[in-house]
Amino acid sequence: MDGVFDNVLLGFQTAFSPANLLYCFGGVVLGTFIGMLPGLGSATGVALLLPLTLTLDPISALIMLAGIYYGCQYGASISSILIATPGDSASVVTAFDGYPLARTGRAGQALATSVIASFVAGTITIIPLMTLAPIFSGLALNFGPPEMFALMVLGMASVVGFGGGTSQAKGLAMAAFGVAISTVGIDAQTGIARYTFGQVQLLDGIGFLGVVIGLFAVAEVMAQVGRGGAEPIRTRMRDMLMSRRDLREISGPTARGGVVGFLVGMLPGAGATLASFFAYDIERRVSKKPERFGKGALPGVAGPEAANNAAANAAFVPTLTLGIPGSGTTAVLLGAFIIFGLQPGPLFLREQPELAWGLMASFYLGNLLLLAMNLPLAPVLGSLLRIRYSLLYPLILLVALIGAYAMQNRMWGVWLGLAFGVIGYVMHKYGYPAAPLILGLILGSLMEKTLTQTSDMGGGDLTIFFNRPIALLLFALALVLLLAPYLVKAVRRMRPAPTSTPPDGPADDAASARSGDEEMTTLSRREDG
Amino acid sequence: MLGRLLGRTIPETSVGRRASTKRPGAAPAWALAVALAAGLTGCGGSTAGGGSGDAWEPERPVTIVVPFAPGGGSDVFGRALAKGIEEARPDIDVKVENRPGGSGAIGYSFLLSKQADPHYLIPSETAGVALPVTTDTPWTWSDFTPVMQIAEDVTLMVVPKDSPYQELQDVVGALKKGGQVRVGLAGATGLDAIVTGLMEQDQGVKYRRVTFDSGGEIVNALIGGDIDTAMLNPSEVIGQIKAGEVRPVAVFADSRYEDAPLDEVPTAEEQGVNVSFTQYRGVFAAGDITDAESAYWEETVRKWTQSPSYSKYLDDNFLRPVKRPHDEFVTYLKAYEKQLQGVLG
Repeated sequence: MDGVFDNVLLGFQTAFSPANLLYCFGGVVLGTFIGMLPGLGSATGVALLLPLTLTLDPISALIMLAGIYYGCQYGASISSILIATPGDSASVVTAFDGYPLARTGRAGQALATSVIASFVAGTITIIPLMTLAPIFSGLALNFGPPEMFALMVLGMASVVGFGGGTSQAKGLAMAAFGVAISTVGIDAQTGIARYTFGQVQLLDGIGFLGVVIGLFAVAEVMAQVGRGGAEPIRTRMRDMLMSRRDLREISGPTARGGVVGFLVGMLPGAGATLASFFAYDIERRVSKKPERFGKGALPGVAGPEAANNAAANAAFVPTLTLGIPGSGTTAVLLGAFIIFGLQPGPLFLREQPELAWGLMASFYLGNLLLLAMNLPLAPVLGSLLRIRYSLLYPLILLVALIGAYAMQNRMWGVWLGLAFGVIGYVMHKYGYPAAPLILGLILGSLMEKTLTQTSDMGGGDLTIFFNRPIALLLFALALVLLLAPYLVKAVRRMRPAPTSTPPDGPADDAASARSGDEEMTTLSRREDG
Repeated sequence: MLGRLLGRTIPETSVGRRASTKRPGAAPAWALAVALAAGLTGCGGSTAGGGSGDAWEPERPVTIVVPFAPGGGSDVFGRALAKGIEEARPDIDVKVENRPGGSGAIGYSFLLSKQADPHYLIPSETAGVALPVTTDTPWTWSDFTPVMQIAEDVTLMVVPKDSPYQELQDVVGALKKGGQVRVGLAGATGLDAIVTGLMEQDQGVKYRRVTFDSGGEIVNALIGGDIDTAMLNPSEVIGQIKAGEVRPVAVFADSRYEDAPLDEVPTAEEQGVNVSFTQYRGVFAAGDITDAESAYWEETVRKWTQSPSYSKYLDDNFLRPVKRPHDEFVTYLKAYEKQLQGVLG
């Protein structure tokens, strides 16, 4: 381990060469713009700009790509907050509170919160990535299909309360709708096409980005136009700055979000998305004013934003130590490695120290550049919402539909976006929440996949769950999450003092459910042991 | 012949040319184009092998349609091909367009809509034949023009480093004794699933199949102990093999690899399992193009396959230099499709 310091130094020397600085800067600027386009998240952004970097030498190219990666993440949060149109699945949650904040004239604070939380979590989690990556890499290996399935169940359990004040039945209905949509397309497990009606376009399923663009951007514009007379915000630029109180309010959520993001983000698959959902749920549960969530709470932006940036770093743990991509974007980056003639794998850190450490040091640099660029820009971007709506709405629609097209270079995405715009409008009118639908759509296919894999592993026998302690623990947590509100109520009704109920179990459960953060730390502690 | 003549004259100028075609050096590029055109028509008239008479050349920029997302094997192939075409024909512009979706179905459907337009090529592999066998697609491979096969990719069976299985017969033997062996597959209709199916047919055994989305997930599950064995392309797992995390047990091809570290891996046939099934990598053009257009592309691709950039592409991706010109490629694809129908249909 004594080589770590030398390696870090080597990394910074590599990343801070003038040429690489420039490429990193170019990457973050390009990435921010791509990320701001709805529908274009970091995976697509990196993929789109990959050809641009092919003429550079490998280290400069990878540094630029990493810059694009981080830039996209920051950019995706901007469109999430300003026009409720997330660039990728990991920033969906940011819109839950970011957009209401923007609507009430606090766009500047919401954007600044996202930048600060992202920066803090993004830079601090590089330290465990650099020093402890080999130790953490074992964690991902402990998560096979049964554990992943249990984690999805936990995710689903946490989302039931996401209705934003509306009824739980409506939330559940929307989650079920999302799961139903997720079954369209070629089933990877069997290769059979389901609900495609002979349409080639449907073979690929209904991608969640088209749905998100429809439900959020298109439906929002329709709803505002339908309501009529909506006024643009009138906040002055100087009222869009963060106050000291705002900063204090987001410090806890940022720390918690960072921890959750790093731990969950290491898991391959939906790491960053799940992490942001968990972080949001935790903030909602630990908050003294949970009723503010969904209506514009800064912690509701800080937690998920810290989580998704920490997760972006964590995704590099399996990528660099095992050669296994930790996320969609790192999968594309691994592809880039191969294009450059580099062989990712367990030996990568040892065989290519300059490259690996230079890359990690450039993460630092990228985050720093993004903070310097985006923090002053936050109030400026926030002021965009002062544009007259007769100009702003067509612009939002245009940008959203370009994003829908750009996802896969085909009109199909645009039609999908428009169709879900109509669906979203109807949902909006009758108070059906969109968030559970999105999560159902994202988690539905993952749940199905991991359940089938678990069943295949056991030859159709699901009792193998009982041999997997981590999975059982996660199931128990999910159960607690679902029952907690009832248990708390029951305990309160039975005796006024909430301490020491005869059976130890329920009281403990209720206590741990109140603080989601504790759940995560017990989780990680048990895995270490 | 025509190709060899041009092949000799062009590479010397091509390096400087590629830099100068970008903008200001229009004059030399133009001059070369004229010279090239003159050379083409001149040779076409004098050689008997020219076939259908009139030579053809692209009139517009050429698009390579990659039916998968950037970064994957087909994308790498498409970009290497684009570079190769630009080297072989310095005067034409080639752009790469990713049209991912539907396990490749979207990209091929796009090419289907470009019927008779010779300005579109697709880097094709097994999915181009297998997908219509398993799924209801509006096209089959015979709707396109197979230009040339340029390489083949091979499946390796790998096990974790501490696995009890040392050779292929250990695995098959365990299955025959009624044991359970879990095999990780990427998709239900991919090359690995096909090879597994053929092995089951050959040996009369049954694996426990666990299907994942990608090679990366499979490697994760293999090292994590969730599956016992996996069937992967060398490029997907070479890093883990070199690090000693996984051991290759068999290669499903007619012959072994020539270079270390894979040269020590015996073929399945050597181990008494009669399965050899590889993934082709080849170029398709749109359907209904003329013979002259088809010949132009065949010649261009052939030229690329004689260049250093081609060898580098193969080496970087652990591909084998198996080339089949148009006629042989078509015969091969027919047999390939029949075999796939036997396993997947």
